[in-house]
Amino acid sequence: MRTRFDEQLDLLHKELITMGALCEDAIARSVKALDGRDLALAKSVPEISARIDRKERDIEGLCLKLLLQQQPVATDLRTISSALKMVTDMERIGDNSGDIAEIIVTTNLTGVDEAADVHDMAQAVIQMVTNSIDAFVKRDTALARQVMADDDMVDGYFDRIKNALICRLRSPEADVEYALDLLMVVKYLERIGDHAVNVARWVLFSITGSRERE
Amino acid sequence: MTKRIFRSICLAAGAVFLASLILIMGMLYSYFSRVQRTQLRTQTALAACGVENLGADYFDGLDLPSNRVTWISPDGTVLYDSQADARDMENHLQREEIQQALSTGWGESQRWSVTLLERSLYAAKRLEDGSVLRFSTSQNSVLTLLLGMSQPIVIVCFLALILSIVLAMRLSRRIVAPLNELDLDDPAENECYEELTPLLRRIRGQQKELQLQADRLRQKQNELTAVTGSMREGMVLLNKSGMILSINPAACALLDTDRRCVGRDLLTVNRNLELQAVLSKALDGTAAERTIPLHDRRFQVDASPVVSGGEVSGAVLLLIDVTEKEQAETMRREFTANVSHELRTPLTSISGCGELLKSGLVKPEDVASFGENIYSEAQRMVRLVDDIISLSHLDEGAEDLKRERVDLYAIAQTAVQSLAGRAEAAGVTLELTGRPTPMEGIPQLLGEIAANLCDNAIKYNRPGGWVRVSVESGKDAVRLTVADSGIGIPQEHQAHIFERFYRGDKSRSKAVSGTGLGLSIVKHAVQIHGGKIDLSSAPGRGTAIAVSFPIEQAKNRTFG
Repeated sequence: MRTRFDEQLDLLHKELITMGALCEDAIARSVKALDGRDLALAKSVPEISARIDRKERDIEGLCLKLLLQQQPVATDLRTISSALKMVTDMERIGDNSGDIAEIIVTTNLTGVDEAADVHDMAQAVIQMVTNSIDAFVKRDTALARQVMADDDMVDGYFDRIKNALICRLRSPEADVEYALDLLMVVKYLERIGDHAVNVARWVLFSITGSRERE
Repeated sequence: MTKRIFRSICLAAGAVFLASLILIMGMLYSYFSRVQRTQLRTQTALAACGVENLGADYFDGLDLPSNRVTWISPDGTVLYDSQADARDMENHLQREEIQQALSTGWGESQRWSVTLLERSLYAAKRLEDGSVLRFSTSQNSVLTLLLGMSQPIVIVCFLALILSIVLAMRLSRRIVAPLNELDLDDPAENECYEELTPLLRRIRGQQKELQLQADRLRQKQNELTAVTGSMREGMVLLNKSGMILSINPAACALLDTDRRCVGRDLLTVNRNLELQAVLSKALDGTAAERTIPLHDRRFQVDASPVVSGGEVSGAVLLLIDVTEKEQAETMRREFTANVSHELRTPLTSISGCGELLKSGLVKPEDVASFGENIYSEAQRMVRLVDDIISLSHLDEGAEDLKRERVDLYAIAQTAVQSLAGRAEAAGVTLELTGRPTPMEGIPQLLGEIAANLCDNAIKYNRPGGWVRVSVESGKDAVRLTVADSGIGIPQEHQAHIFERFYRGDKSRSKAVSGTGLGLSIVKHAVQIHGGKIDLSSAPGRGTAIAVSFPIEQAKNRTFG
């Protein structure tokens, strides 16, 4: 009985890593599409987003089955309950990546003046997502805390780009649509950063058993 | 073993004790019986004498504590009994011993008492008057004796038991001790029971064989580690569930991990989705191959299932760096496409002119210009083919060309002189400054460098412009600089102008004759000399290309 439980926990661990890898892939593709105006790449993101959704349902099912059949306690219970919470955040990361890809496909975002900042921000967000999943894989509390600290940097980028766009909108010949689209993109990036922080928080909870302050 | 020896000794001791007890009892009993019987006979004979002489008076005052005396008349009536009243006693005529005595003069018999615990011995003698005198004595049976002796026997038994236990313990321990002290690591050195020698010899043989096999195994393992360790390709061996069983250093570096990852799932080490896809395919039983980007490089990943007993028991991943191979392939493909394209252009022109001439559609006065056209296009082809030949020659390292001591200034001068006519035609002033500068190099290649650079400087120039060629000798390098006042090269093209068939300005490429290979040849020729190229250019202001050759190299090398 115990071995079966261990096997299922192992499966849960692997499924979570796979889902994390899918999230990384989705956001990496969106950002690459944004950098290089690669519409084909952008169009491939919704499919990955759908795979992430399926994975979320699979993992939720697995977690509920584990809770019902094995009635875990202590660490195992923490692991499973934080897995349940983590998949929600990871699914949101996938959705937001899909949203960015959609903006790239449907609108014309050429000539990004803030390209350097957006690029840096996107890289920082990708790093956060990667780190949060790495923290989960390696059960590394330091890395999880690093992710939580990095969120301030991403918020800083967001403010800077927002201010730049405000300046741009002040001029009469400003391209309002472009500015709004870009703002949406950076907002989504910022949201992804927040979700990565949530994932890191749940990782910390599953390891230490205590909730970090919000 | 100790237990068994102990038990055997105890049992043997017990058995011996019991047997000896029985034997001794039996012997003693029969001996005493005999003695008793003899005594009885003697007593009977003596008493018979007494009775014959004294008659009934003999019995007066006779005190026999253990024996019983009975006097019986010839008709069986008891005349006297030492223990009972003779008158109450029954007729004794039918008794066995009396009968015997009456008929033969002497009779004996023995009878068991009702309880079987006692035996009565009888001896009877017929007297001269026909009466019979009988003596009887009672004898305890063996059982009674034993019962009487039970206490000492129990004590002796107990003592014997303790003794035998102590002895057995000591003994068994002493027997087993050498066995316990056997040195199995070195069986031949043991001085032990002779009976164990074959066993020890056998153990020794097997030990040797095991050692040999272990050595062989270790050697195999070392060979494998050496092979996989020095491999540039990454190799990972995984079990059925995707757990890493073995990984070589190259794969460790590629997957950003170390040897500690052995025993963990590959997914926890690297979660590249494509890698996982290839792996899961291999674990399903089909070999898979895919090119995957990892760390800005591209790797060909070969995953093959490990099949044992008809079932997939794991997979082997092989990671091969194909970045350079892919780049080289792309370059070759592009080069081939470019060469075909470049060769086709003059050929179309030649073939067109030839067709018109053949069909006689050309006016006689135009024939010359058509011929001129064919000639110039053919010349262009020749130049192109020459360039391609020298470039492929350089690609192979130009090993057949010899280095010798040359004067770079003289070489530059030759190039400038040969191009003077073209410069004049283009309205460009061509100047050469500097002084004789000796260096070690391949004259053909140096000539090509100078000619190509000057040619480009003249071609991509404006009428009334200038080209300045200078040769200087620095402290550690010899430098050839070609500067012009030409059209310049825009920043975005500067990185590419040394690529084959790359033309900075596509619209000018038709107007200016050139193969697009000149700078590529320069780059290769400079590389072969170990030199470097510095480019500084601004659109509309001109270009300066400086080629420097290190002097040390020239000093250190000797050429035949």
